[in-house]
Amino acid sequence: MNILLIEDEADLAKSIQDYLTGNDFVCGWAKNFSSAMDKISIYDYDCVLLDLMLPDGNGFELLKQLKKLNKTDGVIIISAKENLETRLEGFNLGADDYLVKPFHLSELLVRIQALIRRKKFDGNNIITFNEIQINLLSKVVKVNDATIDITKKEIDLLLFLIGNDNRVLSKEAIAEHLSGDMADMLDNHDFVYAHIKNLKKKLKNRQSKNYIKTVYGLGYKWQDE
Amino acid sequence: MNKKLLHKTQRAYLIFSILLFVIVAPLFYVLSNKFYIDEVDETLMLQKSDFIQHSISKLKIEDIPIWNRFNNTIEILDPYKLKKDTLFYSTSFNKTEQENDRYRELNTPITIEEKPFVFSAKVNLIESEDFMLSIVLLFLSLIALLILGMYLITKKLSQRLWHPFYQTLEQIEDFEIDRHSKLHFTNSNIEEFNRLNKSINDLIDRNLAIYNNQREFVENAAHELQTPIAVFKAKVDTLIQRLDITAGQSELLSSLNNAISRLSRVNKNLLLLAKIDTDQYNETETFSIQQVIEKQLDFFVEQAEQKNITIKTSFQKDIMVNANYGLTELLISNLLLNAIKHNVTNGIITITISEHQLEITNTGTKLDLKVEDLFNRFSKSSTSTQGNGLGLAIVKKIADHNTWTISYSFLKNEHSFTVTF
Repeated sequence: MNILLIEDEADLAKSIQDYLTGNDFVCGWAKNFSSAMDKISIYDYDCVLLDLMLPDGNGFELLKQLKKLNKTDGVIIISAKENLETRLEGFNLGADDYLVKPFHLSELLVRIQALIRRKKFDGNNIITFNEIQINLLSKVVKVNDATIDITKKEIDLLLFLIGNDNRVLSKEAIAEHLSGDMADMLDNHDFVYAHIKNLKKKLKNRQSKNYIKTVYGLGYKWQDE
Repeated sequence: MNKKLLHKTQRAYLIFSILLFVIVAPLFYVLSNKFYIDEVDETLMLQKSDFIQHSISKLKIEDIPIWNRFNNTIEILDPYKLKKDTLFYSTSFNKTEQENDRYRELNTPITIEEKPFVFSAKVNLIESEDFMLSIVLLFLSLIALLILGMYLITKKLSQRLWHPFYQTLEQIEDFEIDRHSKLHFTNSNIEEFNRLNKSINDLIDRNLAIYNNQREFVENAAHELQTPIAVFKAKVDTLIQRLDITAGQSELLSSLNNAISRLSRVNKNLLLLAKIDTDQYNETETFSIQQVIEKQLDFFVEQAEQKNITIKTSFQKDIMVNANYGLTELLISNLLLNAIKHNVTNGIITITISEHQLEITNTGTKLDLKVEDLFNRFSKSSTSTQGNGLGLAIVKKIADHNTWTISYSFLKNEHSFTVTF
């Protein structure tokens, strides 16, 4: 999968690149408007990560150019700007998602995965990890072909964990992912433990392997030994 | 007690009028009495000289009884020790009116046919009680008319004169610095009021500029922090992926993670606080408060489970509001999270919607925080380590933004927040 990261903050860009490369993505980087323009006009990307404030131009202009060039690249805006108008303008110009800085890399990763799923596999909405099968549309999870009783939150958590497999997810990252809009108000992240425990139990009940590992002091990790 | 401006002037006028009455009325009485008596005396003297000039020479001693019989006011009396004209008061009984009448009398020694006699002339005086009464009545009615006139005139005049002042006053009373309301004073033709309006306008402009500066500073500062925080967060996320982390390092990383998460929350909330004032939350729609709560309830039930808190709802009468949906949702969720945060294990939260009021009550221990500080930024009780101290400040700001009122009370170990829409 090809990803283009347009971001002027080198430190941030490096971390994003590293994280995504570790997940079998090929991640190119453009640090300003002009190099981004060059890249999008030459290559096709599965997903473009777009920072709105660039030293030599506005990210929205790039969005317009993409549409002009009839590109089908998915676009996720990553911006420190958080207001309704910018958000709406972004979506109106054809962005697919909007992620406000600061964000966890794990969050960015699942957003990219979700976007690519939507773009590439229309109709096919099933994610499989060994014996676990998740139907995204019907919200049904099967383990060893047996449906398990699972809440929406737990599916969300499961997707987040599988999407970031082999990665350590901090309790904060999971909490922020699960609480969505409420994340900024929430200062108690203990509920993550309860969700992890429940999910573990439900998977184990259907003889699934124990993929959820507790990383002491840091968080959790989805890992297939 | 504070009195209205008009009352003060009216009172001064009234006191002045009464004072005038008290001083002038007796003076008037004394003076007019004096003039009256002088006049009467003059008449008597005139009568006397008239008598001496025309009648005395023709009068004979034997005619005196007849003269006296036909004259009521002029009599010739037997002589007594009298050297010169004497004026004095006398009384005599009036049979028809059954009362004593007062007279002014003149006695003069005269000579008739070489023999001494006394000439007496008298004038019935106006009764002094009647006289006083009429003066008092006259004065009272004059003063009443005066006061009434002054009252009406000053009232009318003050109302017109002070009209611009009251207009200004009303506008200042309605003014709120965070609501972008600009004052529009009408020009009056009175210099002082124009000066007042101008000074107030200048004052408000200066304050508004300072306020906006402050707000922009907070917004910019918070905004500028977003990117470094993002870098920090990303670096920590990358660092925790390292496989060779020791237990000690992971503890450090865990604290870092926690701190950066908190920093990012505080920063976002500061941004939000600064932004509520700007126009971007001015878009409003009409929606039901009950639905806002029902939509979020699952999330809060989940959060409350940690402390085994029961959430009870009592929706008596739904409230429809016209406001910004996102902000209203934020207000309610902040209140509910607050109710969970400051609750006790196995506690209870009650959400009540009644006419125009949303009440959120939770069990808890008494705050070691002054109630008036409750809604201030970064004011938290020393016992609570959680929280960023911005939740209730945001609640208050949103309530103010929509001109809703929010109140807090603590009764029988229950904290209660009430929003009146």
